[in-house]
Amino acid sequence: MESSELYHAKQQFTLGAYRTLAQQPLPETSSSDFTSILLLKARSYIALNDPKLALKLLPDGSENVALKAVASLARYVGSADPTEAEAALEELRDFSVEIEGEDVEGSDKDKALVRVLAGTAFARAGEIEEALETLGSETEDLEAIAIIVQIYLSINRPDLAKKQFDRSKRWAEDDLLLQLIESTIGLVTGKDGYANSSSFYTEQLGNPSLSSPHLLTARGVTRILRGEIQEAKSDLEESLEQQRGDQEAQAAYVVAAGLGALKKPDTEEVWLKFASEHPSHPLVQDVAQKSAIFDQLAAAYTTPPQAQAAA
Amino acid sequence: MSVMLTKFESKSNRVKGLAFHPTQPLLAAALHNGSVQLWNYRMGVLVDRFEEHEGPVRGVAIHPTRALLVTGGDDYKIKVWDIRPQNRRCLFTLHGHLDYVRTVQFHHEMPWILSASDDQTIRIWNSTSRQCIAVLTGHSHYVMSAQFHPKEDLIVSASMDQTVRVWDISNLRKGSPNSGGPGSSSNNAGGNFETFDSFSTVKHVLEGHDRGVNYAMFHPTLPLIISAADDRTIKIWRMSETKAWEVDACRGHFNNVSSALFHPKHELIVSCGEDKTVRVWDLAKRTAIQTFRREQDRFWVLAAHPNLNLFAAGHDSGLIVFKLERERPAFSTFQDTLYYVRDKYVRSYDFNTGADIGLLSVRKFGSPYVPPRTLSFNPAERAVILTISSDNGLYELTNLPQQAQGEVKDSSVDGKKGTGQSAIFVARNRFAVLNKATQLIEVRDLANSVVKTIKAPVQTNEIFYGGTACLILSSTTSVVLYDIQQQKTIAEINSPPVKYVVWSNDSSLVALMSKHIRGMDDAGVFIYSTLNHIKYCLAQGDHGVVCTLDNPVYLTRVKGKTVYCLDRSARPRTITFDPTEYRFKLALLKNNYEEMLYIIKTSTLLGQSIIAYLQQKGFPEIALHFVQDTNTRFELAIECGNLDVAMETAKTINRPECWERLAQQALKQGNHKVVEKAYQQTKNFDKLSFLYLATGSTDKLSKMQKIADARGDPMSRFHNALYAGDVQGRIAVLRDVGLHPLAYLTAKTNGLDDLAAEILEAAGLTETDVDDVPTFAASTLKPPPIITTTTDLLWPSLSTAESFFDRALVNGQLEGGVEPSYTNGDAAGSSALDAWAKEEEEEEIDPEEGGWELDADGGEFTPAIEGEDAAVDAEEELGAGATPGPSEPDLWVRNSPLAADHIAAGSFETAMQLLNRQFGVVNFPALKPLFLSQYRSSHTYLSPYASLPPLKLHVRRNTNESSPSRVLPVAVRSLQSIRAELAEGYRFVSGNKLTEAQATFRSVLESLLLVVLSSDEEAKQWRETVTAAREYLLGVSIELERRRVVEQEPDNIQRNLELAAYFTQCQLQPPHLQIALRSAIGAFAKANNQAHAARFAKRLLELKPDPKIVAQARQRIAAGDRNPRNTVEIQYDEFTPFEICAATYTPIYKGSPSVHCPYTDAAYLPEFKGTLDPLIQLVEIGASVSGLPASW
Repeated sequence: MESSELYHAKQQFTLGAYRTLAQQPLPETSSSDFTSILLLKARSYIALNDPKLALKLLPDGSENVALKAVASLARYVGSADPTEAEAALEELRDFSVEIEGEDVEGSDKDKALVRVLAGTAFARAGEIEEALETLGSETEDLEAIAIIVQIYLSINRPDLAKKQFDRSKRWAEDDLLLQLIESTIGLVTGKDGYANSSSFYTEQLGNPSLSSPHLLTARGVTRILRGEIQEAKSDLEESLEQQRGDQEAQAAYVVAAGLGALKKPDTEEVWLKFASEHPSHPLVQDVAQKSAIFDQLAAAYTTPPQAQAAA
Repeated sequence: MSVMLTKFESKSNRVKGLAFHPTQPLLAAALHNGSVQLWNYRMGVLVDRFEEHEGPVRGVAIHPTRALLVTGGDDYKIKVWDIRPQNRRCLFTLHGHLDYVRTVQFHHEMPWILSASDDQTIRIWNSTSRQCIAVLTGHSHYVMSAQFHPKEDLIVSASMDQTVRVWDISNLRKGSPNSGGPGSSSNNAGGNFETFDSFSTVKHVLEGHDRGVNYAMFHPTLPLIISAADDRTIKIWRMSETKAWEVDACRGHFNNVSSALFHPKHELIVSCGEDKTVRVWDLAKRTAIQTFRREQDRFWVLAAHPNLNLFAAGHDSGLIVFKLERERPAFSTFQDTLYYVRDKYVRSYDFNTGADIGLLSVRKFGSPYVPPRTLSFNPAERAVILTISSDNGLYELTNLPQQAQGEVKDSSVDGKKGTGQSAIFVARNRFAVLNKATQLIEVRDLANSVVKTIKAPVQTNEIFYGGTACLILSSTTSVVLYDIQQQKTIAEINSPPVKYVVWSNDSSLVALMSKHIRGMDDAGVFIYSTLNHIKYCLAQGDHGVVCTLDNPVYLTRVKGKTVYCLDRSARPRTITFDPTEYRFKLALLKNNYEEMLYIIKTSTLLGQSIIAYLQQKGFPEIALHFVQDTNTRFELAIECGNLDVAMETAKTINRPECWERLAQQALKQGNHKVVEKAYQQTKNFDKLSFLYLATGSTDKLSKMQKIADARGDPMSRFHNALYAGDVQGRIAVLRDVGLHPLAYLTAKTNGLDDLAAEILEAAGLTETDVDDVPTFAASTLKPPPIITTTTDLLWPSLSTAESFFDRALVNGQLEGGVEPSYTNGDAAGSSALDAWAKEEEEEEIDPEEGGWELDADGGEFTPAIEGEDAAVDAEEELGAGATPGPSEPDLWVRNSPLAADHIAAGSFETAMQLLNRQFGVVNFPALKPLFLSQYRSSHTYLSPYASLPPLKLHVRRNTNESSPSRVLPVAVRSLQSIRAELAEGYRFVSGNKLTEAQATFRSVLESLLLVVLSSDEEAKQWRETVTAAREYLLGVSIELERRRVVEQEPDNIQRNLELAAYFTQCQLQPPHLQIALRSAIGAFAKANNQAHAARFAKRLLELKPDPKIVAQARQRIAAGDRNPRNTVEIQYDEFTPFEICAATYTPIYKGSPSVHCPYTDAAYLPEFKGTLDPLIQLVEIGASVSGLPASW
């Protein structure tokens, strides 16, 4: 069984308390948890979109394949230049081939993690087929399942996600991550009025052993989906109070505002602020794209002259 | 299995007979030493003792309705006692038996006493005439017991002759009323057996026991008899009108069975014997259920309470009172509803309405006579888990029906069962089950499959809810808070075994109960009940009695002044009590002064006890505010050092002791002014002087000298002179009192030689007379010099801020003198458990939520075989080759004919087509912001998993719908919100901000294009809103045009007047129409069109405006009447109905051709067909359209 320190770190990672996790000190290098927690910390930095810090954290020249893979993922996430990104992706491809062989330093857990990291990168790159291939549908690694499920959901196959989830239920011992997966599926399918997701996040918010603004954001999003706009607003505001400028919470706040949480001019203001601060957020990009399409489509209609008095 | 629960035990000599009082908690015990004890078993006190028998007393009985006790002893006597405390005495003694009396009994309605004796007879006595009225003979050995049938005229007896006999005594009732039968006429109680025998006959002789029979009794309702014998068996006999036969025997006692009883309520037998056991048997199966063993004591007698679930057993060294099975009803509360079990039915009780409904039968769950032990309720799923202690512990998970049905469902239909001693919900879709034998805690999902197994870290007897993902484990010596996810102990405290756990509403406090108390927490105050009291306990440990109880109850909820509880038979009850005391204490603890003050002002409770409490708890300053009594106020003021109040009260009391205590307290605080005052009041001159010395008040000291002089007190004068350093004064005193030597010496040592000489002279002496007096150097002793004058200075003390009470009491009222809400209501906060429940409520209400929906992901409900097929399919599908499915926006587009929904889905192309087709919209760029904001608000993003691109989630308006063929996007703008915007436009009109109003009305009309409607009613409203917005937009546009004309073409008065007139023809609300009319009146009057102006004024009057406006309007009408002419000719015929062309602002009279706006229905001159409408600048005038589709 894992130590409670590692358990906590994992729990924090699973529930999105990346900042807390990243700020925690590392255990002694001699500790058996050192590598595991180091990996989680590095991944937290990556999740926070701060891959440089992750790279700084990682020791140079380690032979551990998981550590190397995390570094590659960090480089991939951090690269602005497409060739650089492609190189990082290629490294991950190599690792996922290497781990099939014998002579790689790293435990089974490390190998599973490599698949997870590679899968993450592939999914980010839009290489869905490759990601699924790498993760493997027969896997018994819950992190891999989480990614697979999210990929299925992102390609609108909640049925497959559900199947994958049901299958992992058999061996996953009601793990927290499993519950998160179930909740994620619920967010997409909306089964039972999002009851499952809502109670999952509410339960976890009530969990005294950690606090994560991400959970508040997640519940806020769930509440938006449930049509509880005012409640969502309060969740999101609380989340934003805890981590100012958080992209995810802001994005959700824009939506809540548009659904009546704020007055019209305020909504526009929030939106413009968000769009200018996070031009790469999918919501902003999506809307920009739609805006272009609109112009194109609107041009197809010829507007007749306006009726005016002849005089 | 805790079937037997000891309630009371006493130590005494061997107990041979027992009898319960039917209504009071009294138990009579007949002792081998000749004493008869009367116990109050609830309080555990010996109430009385009757000691007149010589030798052991074996038989005892209490009258079913009167305060009478009958006893029979080895002295052959039967005694009848009055047990009322004021009258307690032996009323009479019945003589007649010739050997030990074994049992005695009162008849339930006749004035008869039945007795069984070793003289082989059974006798019936009339307690009124005190005569023996029948002697039943037939037994050939000691008769060990005799009992009346509870209803019929039958007696059953047991004898050492190995038989049980049933006797018919119906003749006795017929033949012998009060006169007492033949016995009374002959006045001869003994010997005449034949005469008696004619009144009673042996009906049945039950043979079968191999040894002597010790006890036999009838079943209260069934034709059954039970007997207990020395052959170690208990036999059950059935009887009919004609015969009786043995049904079965219960074997298990390994020594003589002393007694065996039918349980008065359940299908149980209770027996006891000389093998030192009390045993419980199943009457139907005749199998042993429970054995209760004692180390030392042989059991001799058993008694059952006639109404309550209570038994008593007598043994070698005393007696025990016990109850069978747990009496505490299983219950659980959620919000305003209590879910509980009564008579093996799960019922719900609404605290507010008192509605009490049976929801579910659990009769087939476990043993039929054992009630369920616990109930755990899951509001999200409306499910319950019950546990029962029979069959070694079972649990059952069942869903409750949504509402009560005619036929109550039995849990066996779809309940999910398992073994376990303790089972509770730990989350919405998880419950935990404890298996005590294996010490494993299983976490199961709602399908009853195990998702996790935990090894209990301590020997666990019971589990309870412990907050999110936690359990409370109760062991014999400790309580553990355990984290299920992490599988680790979070906290542990030592405690006796905990039986119940109650959380406070905010989950910040938990009460662990281990004994016979049962309770209920409510926000900081823990209310619990004991056998006789309802008590409260505050978090810091303070406790007290709330009210006393006649019978034990089980609290289910406390709200305000009402305690909701279940009584012993699990019937809901309410008790009203006065919570003031603990509310006050709680308020004190929380420093909630408003509430305290409110209580003080409104309640009568505040007696000495509260003041004492406050004092004791160290709040004298608070107590001070509550007290009117001057003495108490003074005491409190002294205690908390409030000198002002103390001074004030001391003045009123004006007793020396008070002043002294005040002086002491003031001295401690260094407030010498108060000390001075106090000393002055008590005329404590010495101390006063010393005080003045200490404070350096020389002038006051000299004043004191004068006072002393006036008082003629030389000692005081001397003192003051000494303090003041007034040597001459001292000498004067000494001389006055004739102490010339001292006066002389004082003068001498202080260098006052003249004065010394004077004294000598006055004493009639000379220097020489005193030359033997040694000379002293001049005294250097002087009063200390005053460095700082402290006369007017007080020792600085900590300034006390004006307290809440000071303020409140000065103001004479409470700030915000509203009654504070009860701190103990459930409204205060909700526990985590409630929270996860609350989320689900909407779902519960949804009537459509049935099993019929073809769920997108309902695969788990398909039958097993199909499931396998599906699994095979899945193998193929899962994996890298997964193809994308239809996205939710695709579904939205497919499911809706509304442009708004297509916009939300991002399908702008189809949305535009729809708008064009439905409303003739051609000019889209104006709608772009609406399109984008609507699209933007229909999708939200979340990254549930690290570093992956966020998941795009789609916001639905039918949140309870997950079927792909029915999902629809959220309605971004509601009709309601648009109407609110319209109202804002109205306000702009009233405020003469016409440009803003125009923009607002335009925006309203744009938004209305994209609103989602759900009913005909809404569609009607929509049309009204469109029309209203159009009329206002038109009106405002006309008025703006008029203003433009006035400004830019000042000569065009005709156009100006026409536009003013048209404006009044728009359909506006009365206040706005008034504005239009008044503006028109002004314009027309100015242009000297008096006739028209008068017309407008008349219309204005119809709107019933302000009196002031009415006056003006009347003037205008008068002016029009005087001068009914119009200077300027205008194109305006108000008597022919017309529409106004929204492009030219000219009238289109009825009958003239016109075209209309396909959306707003605004009218235009025909020449404008095919052009863009100028009002909202969106649609093509005169286009043929389909209109808004009814999508609901």
